[in-house]
Amino acid sequence: MPARRFVAACCLALAGLGILSGADDGRVVIRYWDKWTGFEADAMRSVVEDFNSSQTRIFVEYSSVSQIDRRLMLATAGGLPPDVAGIWVINLPVYAENNALTPLDSFARKAGISEKDYIPAFWGMCRYRGHLWALPSTPSSTALIYNKKMFREVGLDPEKPPRTIAELEAFNEKLTRRSASGRLETIGHMPEEPGWWNGLWGYWFGGSMVDGEATITANSPENLAAYRWVQSYPERFGAKNLLSLRDGFGNFASPQNAFFTGRVAMVLQGVWIYNFIKNYAPPDFEWGVAPFPSNDPGHLRDVTIVDSDLLVIPAGAKHPKEAFEFMRYVNSQAPMEKLCLGQRKFSPLSECGPDFFKAHPNPYIRTFLELAKSPNARTIPMVPTWSEYSADMKNAVTRIWNGEATAEEALADVQKRQQKTILRRMERWHRSEPALTKLWGEQ
Amino acid sequence: MTGQERRNLRTGILFISPWIVGFLAFCAYPLVSSIYFSLCDYSVLSPAAFVGTQNYRDLATDEVFWTALYNTFFFAAFAIPLGLFVSLSLAILLNFEVRCRGIFRTIFFLPSLVPMVCLAVLWQWLLNGELGLVNATINPVLDVFNHALGTHWQAPNWLLEARYAKWGIIFTVLWGTGNAVVIFLAGLQDVPAHLYESADIDGASFWQKTLHITLPILSPVIYFNMIMGVIGSFQVFAVPYVMTGGGDGPGRSLLFLATYLYQNAFDYWNMGYACAIGVILFAIILFLTLIATKVSARHVYYAGK
Amino acid sequence: MAHHHQNRFVRALTYSALVLASIAFLVPFAWMLSTSLKPLNETMSLPPRWIPSEIRWENYPDAIREMGCFWRYAGNTLLICLLSVAGTVTSSALAAYGFSRIEWRGRDTVFMVLLATMMIPFPVVMVPIYGLFKSIGWIGTFKPLWAPAFFAGAFNVFLLRQFFLSLPKDISEAARIDGCSELGIFFRVILPLCKPALLVVALFQFLYTWNDFLGPLIYLTEQKDFTLALGLQSFQSQQGGTAWHHLMAASTLVVLPVIVLFFFTQKSFIQGIATSGAKN
Repeated sequence: MPARRFVAACCLALAGLGILSGADDGRVVIRYWDKWTGFEADAMRSVVEDFNSSQTRIFVEYSSVSQIDRRLMLATAGGLPPDVAGIWVINLPVYAENNALTPLDSFARKAGISEKDYIPAFWGMCRYRGHLWALPSTPSSTALIYNKKMFREVGLDPEKPPRTIAELEAFNEKLTRRSASGRLETIGHMPEEPGWWNGLWGYWFGGSMVDGEATITANSPENLAAYRWVQSYPERFGAKNLLSLRDGFGNFASPQNAFFTGRVAMVLQGVWIYNFIKNYAPPDFEWGVAPFPSNDPGHLRDVTIVDSDLLVIPAGAKHPKEAFEFMRYVNSQAPMEKLCLGQRKFSPLSECGPDFFKAHPNPYIRTFLELAKSPNARTIPMVPTWSEYSADMKNAVTRIWNGEATAEEALADVQKRQQKTILRRMERWHRSEPALTKLWGEQ
Repeated sequence: MTGQERRNLRTGILFISPWIVGFLAFCAYPLVSSIYFSLCDYSVLSPAAFVGTQNYRDLATDEVFWTALYNTFFFAAFAIPLGLFVSLSLAILLNFEVRCRGIFRTIFFLPSLVPMVCLAVLWQWLLNGELGLVNATINPVLDVFNHALGTHWQAPNWLLEARYAKWGIIFTVLWGTGNAVVIFLAGLQDVPAHLYESADIDGASFWQKTLHITLPILSPVIYFNMIMGVIGSFQVFAVPYVMTGGGDGPGRSLLFLATYLYQNAFDYWNMGYACAIGVILFAIILFLTLIATKVSARHVYYAGK
Repeated sequence: MAHHHQNRFVRALTYSALVLASIAFLVPFAWMLSTSLKPLNETMSLPPRWIPSEIRWENYPDAIREMGCFWRYAGNTLLICLLSVAGTVTSSALAAYGFSRIEWRGRDTVFMVLLATMMIPFPVVMVPIYGLFKSIGWIGTFKPLWAPAFFAGAFNVFLLRQFFLSLPKDISEAARIDGCSELGIFFRVILPLCKPALLVVALFQFLYTWNDFLGPLIYLTEQKDFTLALGLQSFQSQQGGTAWHHLMAASTLVVLPVIVLFFFTQKSFIQGIATSGAKN
C-alpha cells in the first residue's frame, strides 16, 4: 500500500540520519551548572570531556550559568534542578538547612572518600550539621601581596615583608606619599583596597565572628581591636583624603588597578591575583607573597581565609548516583590537578604530584598552598545568616572608614541586629529540624 | 439597572475580559499569595510557617528598613517633579518645526535603549569624584565662585559619599527619561492645530499658548506620566543595584525599598519578610496614587468625558 | 515684524537647547561605540580615551563568536518580541476601549484596581508566578515570555485609555446613532484616530521585550533558547574580569535594530499631526 511504503521510506531516511537510533547511545545524561566563564570554564570543560570519554554510562552536559545561586534556588523550588551544581561556601549552610541539597554521606562512604583525602579546611567547609553536603572543586587562600619595587624605592628589604600588624603600619608610613597640598598620592596599605573581606579582619587579631551555633561575637575584644586598627586609618590619614584617593583608583580588572599602578603597595588578596597580574600588570611588575601579618605572630601565625567552589547535588535531582560519580571523578587526583592547574589555583586534595608544581605558572603557588594547610586557615562563618551579617559588617566598616562612627558603636549595632537575626533563623531551623534530621538520617 | 445599562455592562466586561484573566492569574493570585507569605516565615524551599504579624513587627524595629524608607521617599520627592519637568520640556522642544527633528528625537531616546550594564558603568565613570566628566564641568564653575567669594567649595565624590549618592542616581534616572518624552510627544500630536492658530491670531505669546492650550490638553498625559513616575520611583531598583554592583551604596544611602526587598528575597532567603516589605510598598504607592488622583481630578481635562 | 524677530530668536534658542541636550544624551552611546572598537586594555582607562589607539573592527565578529549562538539568540528574541507586540496591541486596545468609550457600572472603580496592580513590586510576585507556570508545564519554554502579553498589561491599558478618553464623546455617539456595534466603533472610528498611541505601545513593548533580562533568566533553562539580553551576560565573568570591548560590541549590535526601528516609527508621529489636524 502506498501509505505504508511511504512511512517505511521515512523511517529508513530518519534512521539514516541517526535520529531514530538514539543520540546518546543510551547514556544517562546529567546536567551540570556552574558559574565560570572564559578560561575558568574551559578548564572545567576539558575535565568534563575527559570524563565523558573515559566511560560509556554517563554523559555530562556542562552549562555556564550566571547568577547561579538564584537560578539554582528557583530551579530547585520549581522541581527542575540540575544534577550537579557549583555553589559558593556562603550558600552551603542556607541551602542545607532548607533542604535544597542531597546529603552525600552514603555516597562518600561507598566511594571510600573521607577526611584524609583532603586538606582539613576544605573537608570542613563541605560539612554542616553533621552531614556531608558537597565536594570541593577549586580552592583558594588569601595572603599579603606586595610590590617589591616600591619596597626597594623607600629603603625596605623586598625579601622581608611585614610580620606583625605593627610592622605593617611602620612600613605603611614609609610607603605613603602625600602631595604638597596634603592629598594622598600613594598609600602603603589600606583595608578598603580591595576590601573584599572587610568583615573578617578580626581573624588576624584572634577573633571569631560566631561562637558555637547561635552566639554572635561581633564586638568581642579581639574584633574590637581589629576594627580599632581599621579606625586608625581615617584618624591618621583623614577620611576625606582616603575617599578622594580611592575614587581615583581605576577598575580592578584593568591596567589602572591601584595595586598594579603602584598607588597601593600592599594588599590582602587571593590566589587568583596571578591571573590579574598576568593580564593587566606592567611586564616589569615585581611582586611578593607572604602570610598577611597578625597582631601577635608568636601565638597566631599563618592566618589566611580559605574558600572554595563546591560541587553539590540539589535536592530532587533526577540522577544523584551518576551525579556523584562525576563529582568523584573530579575529586580524583589527576582530574583535580588538571582542573586546578587550568584555573591557576592549587589542589584541595591532601596529595599533590610534583608535576603539578612544575607546570604551574604561578611562582608562589606553594605559598598559597602552605597557607591553606595552616591550622589557622579560617573559613567564613558557617552560619545561615552570614549574608546578612557580612552586609552589616560591610556597612559598619564604611561608617568607621568615613569617620561616622567609632569601632565600638558600629560593632555594637551589628551585634544587636545580627543576634536578633540569627535567633529568628534558629527558630526556623528548630521548626524543620525534626523532619529534616530524620530525612537525612535515612541516607 | 435598565436594559441599556445591562447591555453596556456586558459589553464593557467583554472588552476588558483579556485583562480580567490576566489580572486573576498574574496579579490577584500572586498578590494574595504574597500577603499570605508576609504573615509567614518562608524560605521558598521549606514550607511556609504561619507566624502572624511577626514580620511586620520586626520591620518596625529594623533600622535598615527605615533607612530604605527614607531613601525611597527622598528619591521620589525629587525624581518625580524633575522627571516630569525635563521630559515635558524636551517634548515641547522636540515638537517645534525644526529640521532633523527625527534625528533629535532618536538621540533623546537613545539612553533608554542602552542596556543597563552599559549605562551603569558609564555613569559610574561620569560621576567619579576625581576624574569624571560631571565634576570636570562643575569644579571650574565652583572655582569661579571660590575666587570671588573666598570659599572652598568642591564637587563631591558622588557615589562614595552618603550625602550625595542619591543625587547621582537621580541624574542617571533623568537620563533615561526617553519613555516619558515619547509619550508626551504622542500626546502633543493630539493638540488640535487650529487652537494654536486662533491663539496666534489673538497675539498670544509662547508662554501663554503653552499654559492655556498645551498643558490643559496634555493634562491626561501629564497625569499618566506623573502616576507612572510615582509607581516607578517608589520601585526604583535596577539602576542603583547595577551601579553599586548589587550593593547598597555608602552607609546604605542607596538602599531603596525595592532593593531591600530583593535582598531579603534572593540573598537572604527571607521570602516572608520580603513579602511584608512588598505589601508595605504596595500600600504606600496605592495611597499616594489615590491622593494624586484626587488632587489632579480638578485639573485634568478629558475631551472625551 | 516683531513677530518675525521673536520667531527667529526662539528658533535659535530652541536649536541651541536641542544641540546641547543632544550632546549630553549622546555621550553614553558614543562611549559604547568607542569602547566596542578598543583593545581590551584600553577599555576601562581613567580618564577614558575616546579614540582607540587602534580601531579593532574584529571585536564585532569576535564578540559574535564568543557569545556562541548569537544568530540563534537573535531569532529567539525576535520571535518573542513579535508575539508580544501582537498580543499587547490587540489586548490592550480592547481593554482600554472598554475602560474609556463605554459607560458601565463600576467602570472607574475597576480601573482603580487596574492602576493598583501596577504598584505590585515584581520580586514579590515572581515566585508565585513561577510556581503557576511550573504547574502548567511552561517553564523551559518561550510561553511565559509572550503569553502574558495577550492578557492586557496594566501599563498599556492605562496609556491607551488616556488617549481614548481624549477623543470627543460625540464621535462615538454619532456612530452609535448610525447603528454601529461597539466592536465596529472600536475598529472603524476609534482605532484609526489613535495610530500614534498604538505605535507607542507597540514600540515600547518591542523595546521592553527585546531588552528583557529577568524574564528569560528565570523561565528559560536550555542555553539554545536564550535571548540576546541573556547572551550579553556571557561576557561578564566572576573573577576573570569582564571583556568590555566584546560586551560593548555585542551591546551595540543588540541595540542597533531597536534604534533603527525607533527612528523609522517616530516619523509616524509626524503623520499623526496631519490626522489630528483633520480631526476637527
